[in-house]
Amino acid sequence: MSWFTFPVDNLLCRCLSISITCLQYWLTLLFVFIIVPTVLGVSFGVCGLYMRTLLKIFEVSGILSSKKNIRPTRLISTQRAYLGRNIELWATSRIEKEAKEKNQQLYKPYSNGIIAKAQPSSLQQELLEVRGSAGGLPSEPEFEMVDIFFFCRRGVESILDDEVTKRFSAQELETWNLLTRSNYNFHHFSMRLTVLWGLGILIRYGVLLPVRVTLAATGISLLLVFTALVGLLPNKKLRFYLCEKVHLMCYRICVRALTAIITYHNRENKPKTGGICVSNHTTPIDVIILANDGRYSMVGQVHGGLMGMIQQAMTKSSPHIWFERSEVKDRHLVAKRLSDHVADKTKQPILIFPEGTCINNTSVMMFKKGIFEIACTVYPVAIKYDPRFGDAFWNSSKFGLVCYLLRMMSSWAIVCSVWYLPPMNREEGEDAVQFANRVKAAIAAQGGLVDLIWDGGLKRAKVKDAFKEEQQKLYSKVLVGEQEVGDERDNTHSEDTNQEEDERIQLPQMDNEDTVNV
Amino acid sequence: MGALQSVPGHPEYVDLAEKTGFSFEQIGILHKRFKQLSHNEDTLLREHFSKIPNLECNPIRSQIIGAFFDRRNFRQDGEGTVEEIGFEEFLVIMSHFRPPTLHMTEEQRESVRRDKLRFLFNMHDTDNDGTITLEEYRHVVEELLSLSEAMEKDTAKSIADAAMLEVASISMGHMEPDEFYEGITFEHFLKLLNGFEIESRMNVRFLNMDTTTLCK
Repeated sequence: MSWFTFPVDNLLCRCLSISITCLQYWLTLLFVFIIVPTVLGVSFGVCGLYMRTLLKIFEVSGILSSKKNIRPTRLISTQRAYLGRNIELWATSRIEKEAKEKNQQLYKPYSNGIIAKAQPSSLQQELLEVRGSAGGLPSEPEFEMVDIFFFCRRGVESILDDEVTKRFSAQELETWNLLTRSNYNFHHFSMRLTVLWGLGILIRYGVLLPVRVTLAATGISLLLVFTALVGLLPNKKLRFYLCEKVHLMCYRICVRALTAIITYHNRENKPKTGGICVSNHTTPIDVIILANDGRYSMVGQVHGGLMGMIQQAMTKSSPHIWFERSEVKDRHLVAKRLSDHVADKTKQPILIFPEGTCINNTSVMMFKKGIFEIACTVYPVAIKYDPRFGDAFWNSSKFGLVCYLLRMMSSWAIVCSVWYLPPMNREEGEDAVQFANRVKAAIAAQGGLVDLIWDGGLKRAKVKDAFKEEQQKLYSKVLVGEQEVGDERDNTHSEDTNQEEDERIQLPQMDNEDTVNV
Repeated sequence: MGALQSVPGHPEYVDLAEKTGFSFEQIGILHKRFKQLSHNEDTLLREHFSKIPNLECNPIRSQIIGAFFDRRNFRQDGEGTVEEIGFEEFLVIMSHFRPPTLHMTEEQRESVRRDKLRFLFNMHDTDNDGTITLEEYRHVVEELLSLSEAMEKDTAKSIADAAMLEVASISMGHMEPDEFYEGITFEHFLKLLNGFEIESRMNVRFLNMDTTTLCK
């Protein structure tokens, strides 16, 4: 029977050799056209062209998705509606163009809000408004049966729309960007749109994804191999110098692997040694984006497996701060190690994300005060992603890390802007929490994000009972008559390890906290 | 229906719109909110509500959440509570908070009024016996007030007692010394809040997304 298997064997061998040669050509092309220019820092301007083409395609898809099955009998009204929609699109793009010319970032608030934003008013004013129609003297601080309406209404309004829960899911888009995953509102499918979408799928999964995965794998293996080699060198200075170069190369390749198109602003404010760099947190990719443009010391837990190897490779060139799992709980140990690192002026700035968790890049949530207690200069950095090209937010309750990275690599691109803000120091008489909020406000203002006081930890934890008691206290004060308009205290901070409450004078109530109104 | 409404794919919106009076766009947005709260499940449970920080701070949150799971509010003459609700029930409860529309007759206004007051009555009357007893009322007042600082423990009790006395005097007139006031019935409740324009006070300020003007 050997004569039967022989041609099959032959065929298999031939297939194998053909695929190996294909692979070789593929890798060579990749190497020559992508990896080498990346390492050398040369850019062909392809990315800019790619972005502009994509934007034009999204515009077309926006127009296509707003066109509906136009029935001939209702032509006039639907024409008017269609015209209206087009004018809206045109107007939006005009606004965007102008903003772009002025180098501003526009944050579009949710256009699908449910509740009309009313003027922020105090508890007392609202109660008076509710009571007012029930008769009786409004100035009498009595308990009225109708007061319950106020709390009822507030409760239902917060069920309908609250500032916090919507920060933990991906941002919604104005027009569809041809990714199924961002298809929340768009159900108007026409033939042309479906074709466009199908083409998009082919390009993204057939062309872009393999290239990117290969690049990422190459980048990481090069990092591990070269740092191992460089580690064998005897001369310490040379070792550090070469290690830095190797890291830079690896970050650049990873950036290409994600097709991250980054614009750095105000580079004169880049973090210097002996300081701490803080930034808003959307995704683990933030680290790569920042490290691409400067050298930082990372802070984090020691992992096993591939991550552990990468961590060890990174430590060879610069002093990163890795904590064992048991050490993380000890706040004093953590604070001491960070202070020691910062005090040593030869070491690179620490990179840290005070929010403690990933937020969806529409807002900045409470900064944990621990890092702001260390006496040193803080360099704030604001990172804003453009959601049209791919949603960078990592919803850790929905996907694991590997799944997330695959989604990133099959999006169109990751386009973001990084602003380096001027360094800030803690002022006289300012405590850590106030300092943290000042830094947070600066980052929110620059990135066009909403500045919230709520704790990002609410993603997983429940609200503490202290808050409910606060509302009760407020109401009691109104009844007893101690309350004066404009003098309300709202406790809205929460700490996970420390139970201290922060008394701050706050005018609006908890559901009207937007300080950046766009 | 015009070109801007996203009805295809959701024919059930037509029924819901008729039942609750919301527009298609509002139903669409509420549906998205429902899915967000329920994490893309088909039903909402009580613990989904506890994820909303603003609601957690509300003193009467358990009453509000309870109202969502109370079958008396589903407009189907049911009784008792359920453990989970679907989108239709969610919408029906929300419709209690719709403001009255501009063109409403007196009768319609009156029925809207009764509807909203019934909702509030159910919130107080937890054992569904048709009356709000002193205990039940006291419970609500205690929830609203703080047990520290400005108020003493008995203040809540005395406030509740005073309020009940007031209700009794309004609805029953003069009472004999040994007559016992059982509780506020729904009719008394209505009488008590007679001058109160609840139909314009107890509603959520929904964004007016009326697209019908564009498409007529």
